[in-house]
Amino acid sequence: MYIPMFFARFTPTTICLYLQDCTYFTRKEILRLFYRYRDLAPQLVPLDYTNHPDVKLPYELIGSMPELKDNPFRQRIAEVFSEDGEGNMTLDDFLDMFSVLSEMAPRDLKAYYAFKIYDFNNDDFICKSDLEKTLNKLTRNELTEDEVRMVCEKVIDEADLDNDGRLSLEDFQHMIVRAPDFLSTFHIRI
Amino acid sequence: MASEPQGQGSGNCFPDEHQSLRFRRVSSRVSNQNYPQFNWNSTPADEDGGGDSGPRRDLKSIPLPMSLKRAVRQVQQMQVPVVSSVESWKRKKSKSLCKLKNATREFLYFFELWSKSLQKIGGNFGGGVQSYFLFLRFLVVLNFVSFSLIAGFVLIPSIIFRSAGSSPVNNTGPEACMEYDPNPQGLVVFYNYFLDLLSGTGFMEYSYLFYGYYNNTMVEDRNFSYNIPLAYLFTAVFYFAFCLICIIARMGTAARVAVATGGSAVGNYSMIVFTGWDYGCLGDRATKLKQKNIHYRLQVDLEEERIKKQAAALTLCQKILLYSLRVFMFFLALGLIIAAFYGISEATNFSQERSDEQGILGLIFEYLPSIVITTGNFVVPLLCDQIALIERYTPSTTIIVALLRAVFLRLVSLGVLLFTLWRQITCKGDTNNKACELCQYNHEVYQCWETRVGQEMYKLTLFDLLINIAVLVLVEFPRRMVVDNWSSKLAQWVGRQEFVVPSNVLGLVYGQTVVWTGALFCPLLPLINAIKFVILFYCKKITLFYNCRPALKTFRSTTSTFFFLVVLLFGWGLATVVMIYSLAEIRPSMGCGPFRFFPTMWSIVPTSFHSLSETTKEFLFFIGSQAFSIPLFALSCVVMCYFIALASVHGKSVALLRAQLKLEGRDKQFLVKQIEELSRQL
Repeated sequence: MYIPMFFARFTPTTICLYLQDCTYFTRKEILRLFYRYRDLAPQLVPLDYTNHPDVKLPYELIGSMPELKDNPFRQRIAEVFSEDGEGNMTLDDFLDMFSVLSEMAPRDLKAYYAFKIYDFNNDDFICKSDLEKTLNKLTRNELTEDEVRMVCEKVIDEADLDNDGRLSLEDFQHMIVRAPDFLSTFHIRI
Repeated sequence: MASEPQGQGSGNCFPDEHQSLRFRRVSSRVSNQNYPQFNWNSTPADEDGGGDSGPRRDLKSIPLPMSLKRAVRQVQQMQVPVVSSVESWKRKKSKSLCKLKNATREFLYFFELWSKSLQKIGGNFGGGVQSYFLFLRFLVVLNFVSFSLIAGFVLIPSIIFRSAGSSPVNNTGPEACMEYDPNPQGLVVFYNYFLDLLSGTGFMEYSYLFYGYYNNTMVEDRNFSYNIPLAYLFTAVFYFAFCLICIIARMGTAARVAVATGGSAVGNYSMIVFTGWDYGCLGDRATKLKQKNIHYRLQVDLEEERIKKQAAALTLCQKILLYSLRVFMFFLALGLIIAAFYGISEATNFSQERSDEQGILGLIFEYLPSIVITTGNFVVPLLCDQIALIERYTPSTTIIVALLRAVFLRLVSLGVLLFTLWRQITCKGDTNNKACELCQYNHEVYQCWETRVGQEMYKLTLFDLLINIAVLVLVEFPRRMVVDNWSSKLAQWVGRQEFVVPSNVLGLVYGQTVVWTGALFCPLLPLINAIKFVILFYCKKITLFYNCRPALKTFRSTTSTFFFLVVLLFGWGLATVVMIYSLAEIRPSMGCGPFRFFPTMWSIVPTSFHSLSETTKEFLFFIGSQAFSIPLFALSCVVMCYFIALASVHGKSVALLRAQLKLEGRDKQFLVKQIEELSRQL
């Protein structure tokens, strides 16, 4: 549904300026993303954002976007970027999410959020159970128990530098530095 | 979890772009998310040194939720920075520079060729296949730009000064050598035009397409002179240098990534688990395939581990047997490749001997070398794959060995074709042979040998394109229709086509090498090649989306770009050797071309050299003399030693830091245990 730009009371001076400073998007891209956000629920999202209305879209709508609906980690992504931790996103969270996942975000920022996504129990460490859940999501539960166990052991062997049996943020970032593909795979085109 | 003490000093708050972010975590049982603390009291003036990026850029890369970022920004804006006027001017400059960079980037995105198609391909088939298409786009742009060089310096002046100008050297020479009649027939049957188009003879031979049409004229006016032969030579040399610079520049970015990540063998599993998932993957089918792909990769790695364990557990007798089997298979593969080379040289000899045939049979004889090369390039890798099954290397080694064999086969077969041609042109290097005695090249068969070589390269290029289109229409589409509509076991076993990246890339490298080899003799060949690659892009895209299923075995995208460029560099090396040999060793034809009466093509440079002014001559002599080149050589040695020392220092410091990390982890554990003990005692 296309809305001509001059109908949007999206005051360019105040709103777009802070968004341009806080995300990696240009003004045109921010407006385009706003329309994508609004298209998810046109009745809930007003056109006029000058007074920062407190509008949250529920996770089911976010998870139904074509860019996210087949991603096995979509729930974790929404939980990490939403303010309440449940997956219900405001426009700010929405833009923040796609800004981090865009191609202009630096490696450290992406690594921080990737760590949070793979940390299923939110304890700031990727432990064995987090790894097992990640693996099962990656392979659709098709690996055998033995194989899952072996792969988890090997991952912790390779990446755990301080030898505490689980991966901290530093271990994860240290491993990401050596991964050439990370920037291109942790990227959603929208 | 105990809360860690807050660090002092504001230097940590504004991350320097070169350091990684340092976080101070606060535990919270209520909120699910832990955010780094932000020092609200710091002012932008506290930054030391990192002033060029400005505070606003840093805000984007701090991982805070948006509401907090907005609040920080408001605080920053309310604080009036107490900076000197120089600092504020610098800040304004950097801000406007940032805006300009963003604006140019947005503008350039508009001109990027095929970016939407590439995105679609990457989303549906992954990074490996996308890297093939990126490589193809690079070659298209390279060919267009280098053709514009040739057009500007050779083609357009030739067209303008076609009838003007005089020869720089006297037109003398044996009468027999100067004969050159490119259009022998009088009345021509109509389909001959089509045959001529395909083989570059007839009406196409004496045209701007080939070397023979260019004149050896030098135009001199009052204050303007243009020496066409010299321009031709220098353009050819500069074309090679330009291509080399482009390839190396592109390799630089790829190499930086490859070197920074170090050995790819370490961290294989963690790489697959944490970076294997492509978040840009669209669609249910593509997602399922990606999951199967990751499953397959993990299984392959586990399998390699198992094989390694098995190989380590072999007895001495079994090891000897395995190694002798491998040596035997190596010689067998080598024998196959040499048989292919022999076939190519025989076909080239036969084709050159029977070059007077007319009609369809004549066309087949003309294309015989191309046919044999293409058949060899198709059959020999298939046989080598079967040989590889017996050799039983690990999967990754098998892939590398197969690729090396294919590269060797393709590039050296082109070399064999050229070598055979050369032997015929110069009568096997024997100047006392009757045919070569008069003009030092075989003037009876080759009145204008450069045009003939150019025609061979032209035929190779065309044949490559025709074969690709023919395979697409006659093999891939029918295969898909059979597999989709005929549900028998055989059809399911054959399955849909897979887009195999390595062999397709080798095809591109081969095509580009042919163009480089032929550019000296057929100046329009880069343009023809650019058009050919554009057609190839669309053909491959169509076959990818309609006929192929995504490959189960993937090709690593970032290291592979570097590998493609290395192979392209080999092709460039081969073409350079050919060019240097033809410039310096073989006598140019006397009946045609811009180098008509020179003993070698290169000898025009000394001839024109003498017409330069005295000071220029002295300067050039000085550069070539030992007084200049030896200090230059010594200086470059010193610079190279410096860079090698720098690189080794960096490597050592990385290893030291890694060891330090380990120690710190152990220290942390020790301190935590101490704290627990003390708290128990209290």
